[in-house]
Amino acid sequence: MAELVSFDHATLGYGRRVILSDLTFAIPEGDFLGMVGPNGAGKTTILRAILRTLKPLAGTVTHRPGIRFGYVPQRDQVDYNFPLTVIDVVMMGRYDRIGLARRPRAIDRQLACTALEHVGILELADQPLSALSGGQKQRTLIARALVGQPNVLVLDEPTNGMDLVATTQILGLVRELHERDKLTVLMVSHALNEVANYVERIALVVNGGFRIGAVDDIMTVPVLSEMYRIPVDVDNLNGHRVVVARRDGQTLPVSDV
Amino acid sequence: MFDAVLLFREALYGALVIGLACSVLGVYVVLRRIVFVGAALAELSSAGIALALWLAGRGWMLGLATHPIALALILTIAGVLFFGAGGGRGKIPPDATIGVTYAVAAAMGIILISKAKTGEAHDIFLQGNILGITRADTMVLIAVAVPVLVVHALFYKEFLFVSFDRETARTLGYRVNFWNLLLYLTLGLVIAFAMQFAGVMLVFNFLVLPAVTGLLISRSMTGTFFWSILSALLAALIGFSLSVPFDLPSGPAIIAVSGALAALAFLVRLAQRR
Repeated sequence: MAELVSFDHATLGYGRRVILSDLTFAIPEGDFLGMVGPNGAGKTTILRAILRTLKPLAGTVTHRPGIRFGYVPQRDQVDYNFPLTVIDVVMMGRYDRIGLARRPRAIDRQLACTALEHVGILELADQPLSALSGGQKQRTLIARALVGQPNVLVLDEPTNGMDLVATTQILGLVRELHERDKLTVLMVSHALNEVANYVERIALVVNGGFRIGAVDDIMTVPVLSEMYRIPVDVDNLNGHRVVVARRDGQTLPVSDV
Repeated sequence: MFDAVLLFREALYGALVIGLACSVLGVYVVLRRIVFVGAALAELSSAGIALALWLAGRGWMLGLATHPIALALILTIAGVLFFGAGGGRGKIPPDATIGVTYAVAAAMGIILISKAKTGEAHDIFLQGNILGITRADTMVLIAVAVPVLVVHALFYKEFLFVSFDRETARTLGYRVNFWNLLLYLTLGLVIAFAMQFAGVMLVFNFLVLPAVTGLLISRSMTGTFFWSILSALLAALIGFSLSVPFDLPSGPAIIAVSGALAALAFLVRLAQRR
């Protein structure tokens, strides 16, 4: 499959501070990739390079010409004090297409309604954003990303702070968008157990290290113990992979695993 | 009563222009939680006026005595560049940086004006003197306010997006720093010119209270702008009209009416919730 984004020995960081070095991997068209790791490990830094808002300090990050991202930020990154309705927010996803100093037209509203229907909350179109539940806000932000007709849907911690039901629904929706619409999806999360059962590939970003592969290759005791530097068990529960850190687990030096 | 108000009609027109411009910008100031950036910029502007008068009083740059706005603009734009570029990011919390700017600029203004030979006559610049507004002053205010309002009407969509969700705007190719800087620049321009006539307190009032009133009443951006503008114009009209016959200081009278309108909006909000 054609590569949408490819990293070639890329070093990422800010100023002189290197966060991750020598990254070489690609995101092919049709991929469903979960980028997983603890907070502060560098997931957001890779995400910025993918989204073209951060240039590599060394190496190259190449994007296929004409690529368009649909970005779903973390929910708390958006300010809910703004007196905006759901449809106002969704139409923002078309602002760059509408053009400078122009106002949204009827077609933009129509496309926003279609995107809302796609994520199952069309009836909330005229509700104030601040009145929505966490899951509904997330669906609104996903609709905003979809209305721009992207090649790649990028979600940053989409289930942060959500309960079990909302988490399952949002992850189910993302999977549906990937399978039904053949959309390339990149999902960033710190919750390995949540992501591993939905995506097709996993990129682990832990302790300055980076490992990418199919879920079956990454969700193994040796790989996870080495990356997280703690003994873990990987179990299968009704077809779901579950990673559990051993109760008496000590942090392991890299050489022991 | 109306004869007395008509006598100072130029002052009323000036207050209306200042109220109009500030109440539009104030919606962003309140929503972006940069209320005290507005206050700090106003103090920088007043320090610029004081510096101009001090320099002119010492026989340097005499032209500044009649055009203190020149230095007020320079200091305000410097503040705009600092805060617009995310000044204060790092070890010092941003609100502390704003506080330092506010305190130092206010103190410098008072010190410089107290040592300016023309200071006694001009400390009115620091307090504001709405009643002293002339036809020419009103025209200057209009010449500043109209382009600023046109920029905001044209680029409403852009200002809204970078204020609401800068990261997503960036991913869609928006030059977020440019739009932020332009927003701060329009804010700095209006503050620098309005400060000469209205003083720190009244400018700060027009930047905050009308927008709060709008946000309390309305659930849409359009409605918020509408109510913000309407409450600023009403406050200027009612406050000014009451201040002349009752011999009240005009600025505080306008602020008192702004406060009453905000309280009324709060009651409306309470009633809407029930």
